[in-house]
Amino acid sequence: MTKVTLNVNGETRTASVPPEMTLLRLLREEFGLTGAKLGCDVGDCGACTVIVDGKTVNSCLMLAPQADGRDVLTVEGLATMERLHPIQKAFEEKGSLQCGFCGPGVIMSAKALLDENPDPSVLEIRDALAGNLCRCTGYSKMIEAIQDVARGDNRQPVGESA
Amino acid sequence: MEKKPAAVVEREARVETRDVVEMLRAPAAAPLVPLPLEVLVPEARQQTPAVRQRATRPDCRLHGLGQTKYIDDMYLPGMLYAKIKRAGIASARILSVDTKEAEAMPGVVAVITGRDVPVNSFGPSLKDQPVLADERVFHAGDGVAAVAAVTEQIAAEAIEKIKVEYEPIRPVLDPFESLKLETPGLHAPNPNIYGHKVIKKGDVAKGFAESYRIFEGSYRTQMVEHVPLEPHASIATWDPNGRLTIYSTLGRITLGRADISRTLGVPMSRIRIIATIVGGNFGGKNEITTEPVVALLAKKSGRPVKCTFTRPEEFASSTTRHPLVMDYKTGVSREGRILARQIRLVLDGGAYCSWSETTLGKACILSAGPYQIDNLYAEAFVVYTNKTMTGAMRGFGAPQVCFAYESQMDDIATALNIDPLEIRMLNALKEGSLSPTSQKLHSVVVRETLLQAAQRFGWNGNGARS
Repeated sequence: MTKVTLNVNGETRTASVPPEMTLLRLLREEFGLTGAKLGCDVGDCGACTVIVDGKTVNSCLMLAPQADGRDVLTVEGLATMERLHPIQKAFEEKGSLQCGFCGPGVIMSAKALLDENPDPSVLEIRDALAGNLCRCTGYSKMIEAIQDVARGDNRQPVGESA
Repeated sequence: MEKKPAAVVEREARVETRDVVEMLRAPAAAPLVPLPLEVLVPEARQQTPAVRQRATRPDCRLHGLGQTKYIDDMYLPGMLYAKIKRAGIASARILSVDTKEAEAMPGVVAVITGRDVPVNSFGPSLKDQPVLADERVFHAGDGVAAVAAVTEQIAAEAIEKIKVEYEPIRPVLDPFESLKLETPGLHAPNPNIYGHKVIKKGDVAKGFAESYRIFEGSYRTQMVEHVPLEPHASIATWDPNGRLTIYSTLGRITLGRADISRTLGVPMSRIRIIATIVGGNFGGKNEITTEPVVALLAKKSGRPVKCTFTRPEEFASSTTRHPLVMDYKTGVSREGRILARQIRLVLDGGAYCSWSETTLGKACILSAGPYQIDNLYAEAFVVYTNKTMTGAMRGFGAPQVCFAYESQMDDIATALNIDPLEIRMLNALKEGSLSPTSQKLHSVVVRETLLQAAQRFGWNGNGARS
């Protein structure tokens, strides 16, 4: 067993895990953060996307011990009890999530993109979502939602009702 | 008191009067509610408020927050993880299955084979699919044994230690080989052609004789997997009274309950199915897959058991879209009007029937396309092959035949030097036209739709855009 200490959504968490455990399983099984999904387990679908030190990673391909000492942000870390993250709000308004299984991964990819590039072009958005597969909704409404956030339509924090 | 109609009197007379307080007795007959005698006519072709409105889903918020609990996000106390050993050979007889080594592994709690399944066959129409193959393997994705262990990893390792001895049988992979009478039946004594449909209208020979030109073409489509992002999964748990609860990604839980009841030999009244939030279905989650396996493993181990398909299993062991070979012969007049059409569809059904009968019927009915054809002969066959089974998928055969008839329409238009839009306008169904099965069609707006679409994207004739 290996001891892993990392910062997850702003909180220091520790777990003792088998060395072959992936970051995805650590988050889902040890920390109960089931937002990141297991879709393919080989890094193709992007349902497991999380942000590690500001960069998106397929958490099914990263070993938990590799995340030791690093900052991990999952979809659970975006919203507070009072308000949705602007991307979440925009995805909701645009109807960008149907079955929703790919949603957390797509939203994390969008977050990493907007953090780095607050005003991306459609091509840049497409490029950022290239690692996330969706089978229900399609990508148009997701791209629209991300454009909305970039334009600032959803920049303002949403009120207490959100 | 006013006089009641005779039917009411009779119904009241049958009500049992027991020694109970009248007010506490539930009415044995439904209260008389007048039903409207007027039949509601759907208001077709009216712009409903839904059009041009942005739809948001009530469950969208939890999806976006990552708080939606799909089946893989669920855990029951003491739960074990199951893995299914796949045959990996398209066609074989199973001589022996040795599970000793797997059973001896630390962490392995239960192992089952096809012989442990009480009734090892199911299916929505033909009951030709085993839960786990016991004597015969029909396609490479067939399960032959299953293991429940304390972790997924141990279960995955354990299925590697199960030894299966096969006697390979030459597989039938080509639907046309399967069609031949001399090919041995895959599911003998049943024939390889397990579904057949013919639609006849008018006189095709006469239509062809009157035709200016006859076009013949053969069109093929490939097998398609649904690839829902969420893999198939189920969790089974028994209570001490022998009642079974199954959490599942199943889309058709009522049908699934009947199949689970049949395969387990447990009455339906003792089975409860909880459909979890589904991460994509597209028709691929319309029938049971892992459910009887986890139920048996849970019974044997006395603990809840979960089984989730791996992505490779999703491709090899769940249903797919039927590949079709479609032969079209169409006779047209000088102006491009279709006078006769003869169609033969061969559906490659794969190893099991599943929803083939529905697909066969729908493909055959829709194979003429949205066109007025007075002389039609459409024939469709579905055959067994030793490939991944085919089943329900968006449209049940409609997209395949659409590819064929529209491809041929383009060929005809090119050969006769007619604008592709014009030839479709000439032949399209009209209000009140009869379908190939003589159904009178209403709300037919093919022409209007075509014209509007052509206008919207600037169709300029002959494939050019203005």
